[in-house]
Formats: sequence, C-alpha cells, structure tokens
Amino acid sequence: MYRHNSIRLGFIAAVFLALFLRAGQPKAIGQTSSPGIDIFSGLDFNFKDMDFETQYKFLIRLTPGFKWNMGNHWQFAGQLQIPIVNQYGIDYSFVELRAFNVSKEFNIKSLYLKASLGAFSQNRYGLDLKAFLPVCDWFAFEGQAGYVGSVFLFPYWEIVAPNRFVGTIGGDIYLPRWNTQFRGVVGKYLYDDIGVEGEAMRHFNHTTISVYARWSNKFSFDGGFKVVIMLPPYRRTHRAVNIRPASNFRMAYTVMYRQLNNRMYFTDPEQNERDGWFSRDLLHWGSHNMEPDFIIKEKTKK
Amino acid sequence: MKHLYIIAALMLLWWLPQTVQAQQYTGISGLVHIPSAEMNHEGDAFIGAHFLNKAMTPDIGFLYQGEKYHTFDYYVSLTPFSWLEMSYVCTERIYRKDAQGNIVNWSKDRYASVKIRPLKEGKYHPAVAIGCNDVWTSAFFPDQHEVQLYFQNFYIAATKHFEFKGNELGLTLAYRHFYRDYNSKWNGIVGGITFRPSFFPQWRLMAEYTGNDFILGTDMLLWQHLRLQASVKDFKHFYGGVCLQFNLLGDKYLY
Repeated sequence: MYRHNSIRLGFIAAVFLALFLRAGQPKAIGQTSSPGIDIFSGLDFNFKDMDFETQYKFLIRLTPGFKWNMGNHWQFAGQLQIPIVNQYGIDYSFVELRAFNVSKEFNIKSLYLKASLGAFSQNRYGLDLKAFLPVCDWFAFEGQAGYVGSVFLFPYWEIVAPNRFVGTIGGDIYLPRWNTQFRGVVGKYLYDDIGVEGEAMRHFNHTTISVYARWSNKFSFDGGFKVVIMLPPYRRTHRAVNIRPASNFRMAYTVMYRQLNNRMYFTDPEQNERDGWFSRDLLHWGSHNMEPDFIIKEKTKK
Repeated sequence: MKHLYIIAALMLLWWLPQTVQAQQYTGISGLVHIPSAEMNHEGDAFIGAHFLNKAMTPDIGFLYQGEKYHTFDYYVSLTPFSWLEMSYVCTERIYRKDAQGNIVNWSKDRYASVKIRPLKEGKYHPAVAIGCNDVWTSAFFPDQHEVQLYFQNFYIAATKHFEFKGNELGLTLAYRHFYRDYNSKWNGIVGGITFRPSFFPQWRLMAEYTGNDFILGTDMLLWQHLRLQASVKDFKHFYGGVCLQFNLLGDKYLY
C-alpha cells in the first residue's frame, strides 16, 4: 500500500514539474502582476443556532496572512487562523495553519491552470491543480484535482502522509448582461463523499450574493446562501511591501449545518467565489470583465 | 420654535433623494400583512427587524403554556433582479421561562420567502406577481412536520397605480392560501390601498384587509437607508418595524 502511494505521489509530482517547466516558456506567461509582498488580516466569522440553550454561538477568528507575488504569477502565501471568540468548544480553540504554499498560474492557449504545492485550509497539505477552460463568453469548463494529507499545528504537531485523491469537475455559465453566474460541479470530496453542487451567483458592485444547494452520498442534502463583500479601500497604492486589510469578507450560511459534506480546501488565503481561482489580469472571463473592485496605483520613486 | 424644527426636518426629508417601496415583516415588498405585485429595486438588500403583535401571529407555534405572546422577527432580503425577490426570516419563539416568568431562552422559526413578478405594470394593466412564504421545512423531529410551516402561504397579487396631481394611489388585490388550517382565517381574497401624497412622496399610507382583519399602516424611508413602518390592526394592536437598506448596484432613486 505504501509503495503504491509513493508511485502515485511521484507521478503527480512529475506532472506538476512538467507543467511548471511548460509554464516557464515565455509565450505562456501572463506577466502583468507587479511583484511585491502583501501583509493583511481579515476575520473568519462563524455563527450557529443549533442549540436551544443559546440564541447563537459565535466563532470569530483572526486570519493574518501574507502573499509574496514573485512575478510571472508565481506566489508564495501563508496564513494563520487565530481564534479570538470561541463558543464552539475546545476543538476550535487552536491556532490553525490556513495556508502555506507556493502556487503558479499560467495558460496554455485557452486552458488556464493553477498548480499549488504546500499547506491549504481545512488542515490539508499536498498538491493541487485547478483548470479552467472558457469555451465562449458565457460558458466554461472547470476542474480541480488534489492529492492531500492532513497537518495540524496545535495542540500538538501531527502530520498524516498524503493518502487521498479529491477533485471536482463541472461547468460555469455567465450572463454578462446581468452579471449572473451559474456553477455546477460533481466531485469526490475531503471526507470521501461523492457529491454534486449547484450555485447561482449575482455579482453586484463590490458584493456577490449566491444561493447554493449540494448533496453528497454520505451526508445528504444541504443548502444556503453566501455573501462575498470586497472590503475597502478600493483605491490602493502598490508598493514593494503593502500592509492592508483582507481583500474580502466571505460568509457562507448553511440551512442544515452539515459540516462535512462537499467539503473542499482553499489554496489561496483570500480565495472567494467572486474572484474565482485565477488572477484578474490573466483570465478575462466572467466577473473579471466587470469594473475592477480595486484601482491599484503603482508607487513610483522620484 | 418647536414648529420651526418640525418644518425644517420635513424640508430636509423632502430634499433628500429617496424612494419608498414597501416593507412587510418578511422583508418582501407588500403592504403590512398582505402581499402586493410591487417590487423593490434591482440590487436592493434589506436587513431588518419587526415587532409582531400576538394578534397577528399564527395560533399554533407561538404559544407558551397555552398563551400567545408578542414576539419579533428579523430578516435579510435581496432583489437580485427586478422580477425576483428573496428573503430569509427568523421569528423568535419563547423556549423557556424561569419560575418568576422571565424569559430565559428564545428559540426561532426560520423560513425563506420568494416572489416573482412575471408581468410588469403597464399603462393599462396591473403588475402581477406570484409568491410563497415559508417555502419548505427543515424540521428535525417527525412530530414537528405536523405543525411547522407556520407562515407558509401561496399567493397571486395584482397591483395598479394611478396618479392625479402628483399624488399616487395604488390598488392591490390578491388571492392567498395558507397551508396550515390554523391560518385559514387569512385565506381567500385580500386587498389594500396605498397613497403617496405629492408634497411628500417618500411617505406612504396604507389600508388593507387581510381576510380577517383591517390594518392601517404607514412607512417611510429616511436618508436613503433607514426604513420605518408602523401599523395598527383594528385600531388596537400595534405592529412596527425598522430596517436598513442598501442598493448593491449603487443606484439612487428619485421617486
């Protein structure tokens, strides 16, 4: 069993290496992001009302992180999740590693790819590959595949070797006139469940609101709504080192409070449904064709 | 001097670019208790709370030791398109009182509402909307399925507005059916009248018949973001609500 996993791991690493080398060829590089380091923090806000003894229970965590944009869409990112208000119980009282990974975005003609290696959210680490293939202005295929293990920083260091393939595949429909997006995927998720998800999003100025439904063979049906608010200031100056608030506040409400179904990790510390997986200056599709949320002015030396 | 302050306040309100649509205790547009075919503006988002007099809550589900009680709800609602409104509402229920009769715990009933307007108001025809409150149940215990969906109802509504000398008169007629028998008193034909005076169009007066009760109400939008509503049933039972509203498309409306 162990040997089998090693062969699989080696094969995936080879594929990633090949993709990185392919991406290194000048013709394939989208090169408009300015290098720099961003240091930021946001809040991870959770509440639940599943307890008759209390109105709501809250879990609020600080999420300080950094992104080092190395140019050519290479990025090194890290993020911690530090509980500051915890009414959820001792399981949520520990500092968690939410991201510590290196990633690379690139395109091969109209196929956009993002490869990430390192630690992700949901206490996972490993390899991840995302793909996005716009077919026309209003339709695109998407897919994600990962090979992951578990990692915990606290209360004690624990690491489990990569042992699980996860992935989703599906499509996106975007209606530019109404800035409305429909997303549907099927997949195998972190808790070995196989499921399907559907989401309808309306993108407004600086805000995206969506309703979603999902089903998995282990944990049944769930649904709810999500809100993504891009946080001000919307005019920013880009320097070599930038200290700023998190780019967005994201909240997902679940009707049935099923914690485990259709669960997938995030690789980017500021990943959200509005921006999608890829940088705005690389992929010009969907909400990336709206007015940008942030007007970024380059700081030039006199 | 006091009158000068009032006049100044009214003039200030007059000059603010405002709009008034409707507000119900569900966050969906309508009059007070009855639905209408009016819609909020595309991109409108509401966060609000409403005091619910026990005279207007369902006869089952909002009882503690056999007695009805006043309660309140709170909601978020969104109009993603000019023809679609959605809301999510939590209505508080008393879960437990202590020996002195003080409320120790509240629980809540949660529900979603949706309204669709297939026909926009024209010069000669009314707007027509269909909708549903309390769309589905997620009851955890089998016996709850027998009584939950406290607010579920389906409706079709038509609304037409008439203007004369800058004043606006709105007529609404609707057919509504509640799912639970204990709400059947509100079934059937319901309707109402709204009036906006030309000298202060941000202000709206309402009179409605719910199928069982007569309600008089008024609402007003202040400073583009603060909406207030007050109403009285049968000249005895007070209702009231407040909500914050934002247009996520950044649009501002003159009435």
